[in-house]
Amino acid sequence: MKDKNTELSVFFETAHAELASALEMLAACKETNSPNQSFGYFMHAKDEYNHAGCFFKMLSKRGKESSLEIARAFRFVPPSLITKGYISNKGFLIDTMKLKDFIAFVYTNELLAKSSFEKILNLVGPSTNEGAAISNIMKDELRHHGMAKKHFLDHYPALQPWQLLIYRIKETINNKGRKIYDANLKFLDRLLTPLYKSMAYLAGIFARKLNLTEFQREGKNLMNISSHSLL
Amino acid sequence: MFLGVTGYNHESSAALVDKKGVLVDYYREESLTRIKGDKSFPKRSIQKLLDSNNLKIKDIERVAFYERPLSAFLHTVKEASQYMPRSLGLLTHQFRNFNRSSVSCYLDFARLFKGLEKKLIYSDHHLSHTLTALAYANTKKDICSIVVDGFGDRSTASISQVFDPNNINELWECPYPISLGLFYSSITDYLGFAINEGEYKVMGLSSFGDSNSKSAKLIRDLMDWDSYSNKLVADMSYFDYHISTSNSYSHKLESLLGPARNPFIPLIPGDNDFQRCANVARGAQDLTVYLLRKIFNHAHQLTGSRSFLFSGGVSMNSASIDSLSQLPFVDEIIIPPSPGDAGCAIGAALYGYLKSNSFKYFNIAKPSLFPSVKEIRNEKVLTEKIINDEFTVLETNEDNSFLKAAELISSGEVIGTILSRSETGPRALGNRSLICDGTNKDAVKTLNTVIKNRSPFRPTAPAMRFEIAKKYYQLRPELSECYKSMSATCKCINDNISLEFPTTHVDGTARIQIVDNESSLGKLLFKLEPMKIDILANSSLNVSGDPTCFDLIDGLLVCARTPLRYLLTDLGLLTKKNLY
Repeated sequence: MKDKNTELSVFFETAHAELASALEMLAACKETNSPNQSFGYFMHAKDEYNHAGCFFKMLSKRGKESSLEIARAFRFVPPSLITKGYISNKGFLIDTMKLKDFIAFVYTNELLAKSSFEKILNLVGPSTNEGAAISNIMKDELRHHGMAKKHFLDHYPALQPWQLLIYRIKETINNKGRKIYDANLKFLDRLLTPLYKSMAYLAGIFARKLNLTEFQREGKNLMNISSHSLL
Repeated sequence: MFLGVTGYNHESSAALVDKKGVLVDYYREESLTRIKGDKSFPKRSIQKLLDSNNLKIKDIERVAFYERPLSAFLHTVKEASQYMPRSLGLLTHQFRNFNRSSVSCYLDFARLFKGLEKKLIYSDHHLSHTLTALAYANTKKDICSIVVDGFGDRSTASISQVFDPNNINELWECPYPISLGLFYSSITDYLGFAINEGEYKVMGLSSFGDSNSKSAKLIRDLMDWDSYSNKLVADMSYFDYHISTSNSYSHKLESLLGPARNPFIPLIPGDNDFQRCANVARGAQDLTVYLLRKIFNHAHQLTGSRSFLFSGGVSMNSASIDSLSQLPFVDEIIIPPSPGDAGCAIGAALYGYLKSNSFKYFNIAKPSLFPSVKEIRNEKVLTEKIINDEFTVLETNEDNSFLKAAELISSGEVIGTILSRSETGPRALGNRSLICDGTNKDAVKTLNTVIKNRSPFRPTAPAMRFEIAKKYYQLRPELSECYKSMSATCKCINDNISLEFPTTHVDGTARIQIVDNESSLGKLLFKLEPMKIDILANSSLNVSGDPTCFDLIDGLLVCARTPLRYLLTDLGLLTKKNLY
């Protein structure tokens, strides 16, 4: 059961990540003023959409064989891209980062993604159809990585490849940091849940006593209710 | 200028109304973020409204939020608190996410649009719905408003009498948690579809079901109308939506109807579990129609009105509207093109306009079905390389492009459109559509299952001129406005050839769209006339699971991602390179 859950979780989260990448690229495509950059982001977005589609198919294949309870837990709803943090609630990266940092981010993360796909490749088996699809995705990621590097050096010729390496190291550390933070957050969440529930229980006792009948509007002109009231 | 805003609970959106009561611009957040059902604070929509209309914060007189946030919060918490400890999960979730709920609307404005928070006012949720619907009515006085949705800020259904836009009296309400909308959503969830997204799949599926089946009959007992108290009643033990964040239905419902459907298993007509699911959907649909008829009946008794505004998420149940129009006291039903929460931004903006004391006379102008301001940025420049490298421009002249598109349609091709302004509501009305010959079975099948990758049981809508529609369908004059925005289905005329059209559903109905001659589809149908094609199949331009396309780049991307080959745009008719 745990294995099944883990496997589904891998495809579920990867599909989220790829779809979020597609949306980031699409946002960048619309944000730029350069037709050339727009084209580059457009093609990148198209690839990422296709990757997401592949992982959703793999998820679906395994979801069909799962129990209802597990299958329901791995049903995709688009707003979860934000609630799960794949897209920041502050906006797309192109909106919140400098262009240089954005390109460096793409450069670095495409490479990191490739290495995480290697683990998925082992999970599905390299000689399977799914393995072939993942191998193709890995090739795409490498291509994106190369294009981002070229784009970066074209635009910032004064910068040297070693500076990109620093970006990569920085982002690798950031990624690890995010994973540690996430794990700690989950641990804390488990630890504090009983406390949250106790507090919710106490608040619930008070909530029970709330009299909400005064909010009834029957027979009232709705246009005359105070427009500044939150209630 | 007056800004109306929705968000946090369902799709977020923003609308702009000017000092003459005219809707000048409107955006759904999902159109801009490309995240279907995006319910986050609509910062992009607001920013776009300001940018596209050259407005600064000081130009906005009032901002109206579409509901009263604290009321919505307290009602759900109070209800859940009755069921502790079972509801502790929901309560914990509510308290922990208090700062992310609509209560934080004020703070979000203060953070992102400094100055607007001081102009913020709040409308009742159902009042926002009513005002949205009222905007689309030809008369703004002496009309009855019925709102039925999942949950607003205190009730789940209401009846109001609109004496005039400033005098709207609420006469009846259905208090939370009993909710026709949440009942339908629970069945949607039970059938393996996503809530707030899959309800129309249930509606499509129901046509395959049998009203006399055991499942359908069992469903009909879950809710009822109490004629003595004139209230909706429900056995809440079958539902968990009021006590749980993860389950909308209870184990008792599964004991009654059998196991819920695994969402990953495709529903194909003829397959093992298909008929049982269709029968469950049929039962839900029958119960919805029955209860809506009761609500309309009660509304007529209370108000004596023969004209009805109908809004809220449940009014998107287009399959029930034809039956409602047959009630003997109904002269007219008006459903706004965006009757769900996203459309409430329009009503909220109108609320701000009406609450301002700046004008002696108020006037609410009927909004266009395509209100968004045309993209200011030069799409031609931005998409230049994409089009050069990936597409071929077949025609640039508008007239020739439409003619060529018509020729392609007559030869069985499917065409995508990104023309002029986008639609208000969830239904594509021609400007952001996938279209093909509505009588060509292969073309419709390609559109539906190959390009859109939709479930085979879901119908595609036919679009035509009024004179043509009369030849094929049993049109109801009470619904003449609804047909313009695909808000109601109608039956095919008995023994008519329309029963054979691929756009006709298995139960002999179709969700028709009657088009104006001046609209994009109207122009296309004019070109198709000599080719003996008078009906187009029309579906939204998107890939399943994505929002409808908003701008040219979205359209080009759909073309690039799917087998769609042609795109009719303001720049001309494009075709994908390397077709074969």
